[in-house]
Amino acid sequence: MKSTANHIKWIFSFLLNIILLSQVHAQGDSLDFLRSTGKIYTVVAVIVIIFIGIVMYLYRIDNKLTKLENQFKNEQ
Amino acid sequence: MKIKGMWWKTLGVIIFIYVLTGGMLVPLKSGILHTTPSSAKCGTTVNIDITGYNTHFSSAKNIRAWLKADSVHAIQAVEVKPVDEIKSVVTFHIPDALPTPDKTQPLTLIMDNELDGIFVQPNAIFVTMADTVSANGALWKSSNLNNFSQVDQFVFPYRNILHETIRNIFFHVALWFAMFILLIAGVYYAILYIRTKDYIYDIKSSSYTKIAVLYGLLGLATGSVWAKFTWNTFWTDDVKLNMTAVTILIYLAYLVLRSTFTDTDRRAKMSSAYNIFAFVAMIPLLFVIPRMADSLHPGNGGNPALGGEDLDHTLRMFFYPAVIALALLGTWMAQLTIRYEHLKEKYFEKHN
Repeated sequence: MKSTANHIKWIFSFLLNIILLSQVHAQGDSLDFLRSTGKIYTVVAVIVIIFIGIVMYLYRIDNKLTKLENQFKNEQ
Repeated sequence: MKIKGMWWKTLGVIIFIYVLTGGMLVPLKSGILHTTPSSAKCGTTVNIDITGYNTHFSSAKNIRAWLKADSVHAIQAVEVKPVDEIKSVVTFHIPDALPTPDKTQPLTLIMDNELDGIFVQPNAIFVTMADTVSANGALWKSSNLNNFSQVDQFVFPYRNILHETIRNIFFHVALWFAMFILLIAGVYYAILYIRTKDYIYDIKSSSYTKIAVLYGLLGLATGSVWAKFTWNTFWTDDVKLNMTAVTILIYLAYLVLRSTFTDTDRRAKMSSAYNIFAFVAMIPLLFVIPRMADSLHPGNGGNPALGGEDLDHTLRMFFYPAVIALALLGTWMAQLTIRYEHLKEKYFEKHN
C-alpha cells in the first residue's frame, strides 16, 4: 500500500509541476506555453488528460483484482 | 494468446492509433493569425502587416488581397510585399468614402495565392470616414474579387480562436459521443435485468454506466482545458455546461446508491430502476434544454451543429472513427469490470 501512496504523490507533484510551469510562462509572455504554435499544446493536454483518466481506471481495477486474487490464494 | 474475442479490442486500438496520427499530423489550412493596424481613415494609404499561419507568402508567385465591406463592395490591394513565408505587408488605397452610411465599418481581409488557396480574416480593420463625407458605393465596385485559386490539399479547416485546437473534436467531442453509446448499453442491460432478474445483467449495466461516468468526467475536464485556451475561462455560464454537470451528478448519485446496499438483489433492483430514470432525465438535460439557449458550443442557439466548417469532410474522416475507437476502448474497460465483478460475486456466493 505504501507504493500506492508514493505513486499518487508522484502523479500529483507531476501535475502540479505542469500547472506551475505553464503559469511561469504565462507571466513571462502574453502568449503562454499552451497557447503557442496555434494552441497545439492544448490538444496535447486534452489527450494527456484522457490517457491519465483511462490509466487511473485500469490501475484501480488492477488493484481490486490483486486483492481478490490474494483472497483466493489465502484459501488454498 | 486467444484471438477469439480479441478482434474488436485490437480494432479499437488500431482505429485509435489512426485517429491519433492522422488527427495530429494533417496540417491546418492557411489562415491569418493577426493584422496591424486595426483601424484606418478614409482617403489614406494604409500598410497592413499580416502574420499568417501555415502560409507560403514568399514562395507564392501570385498573391492577391482585398478588403471587403459586404457582398458587393470591396477594394483590391495595390501592392503585396511578402517579408517571409508567414509575414507580408499589404498596401491599400482606401477610398474617400465608405460604401454605406455607417461612419465606421469593419472590413474583412481576403487573401489568395496559388499555394495556399483563399483565406479570410473577418473584422481585420475598422475604417472611419469623416462626418462631412457621404457614402459612395461606386468607389468600391471595381475590386476584381474573382478567379480564386483552386488548391487541392488535404487540410483541416482554419478557424479563428480555435486554430489547432479544432483537433480536439476527435478527443473531447468524440468522448461525449462514446459516453452516450456506453450509457445506451447501460440502460439496455438495466431494462434486461428488470425483465429477466438475471444478476449478470445488473453487473453489465453498472459496469457500462461506470465507464460512461468516467468518460463524462474526462469530457468535463478536457472541455475545461479547451475552454481555458479558447474562451479564456475554465467554466462558462453556458447552459450546456451546467446541464451536463447535473447529468454527471445524477449518474454519480447512481454509483453512490449502488454502494449503499449490501443485499445484492435489492441493489440490482434499485439501481436498474434508477439507471432507467437517469437515462430518461439525461435526454432533455443534454439534448433539449441546451439547444433552447444561446451557447458558445456549436449546435446551440441557432448555431449549426456538426456542419459547415466546424465539421467538414476532412474532420469527419477522423471524428467518426474516433467515436468508434473510444466506444470500443470503453467497452473493453467495461468488460474488464464485468469480469471482475462476476468473479467477486462468485467468490462471495461460495463463502456465504
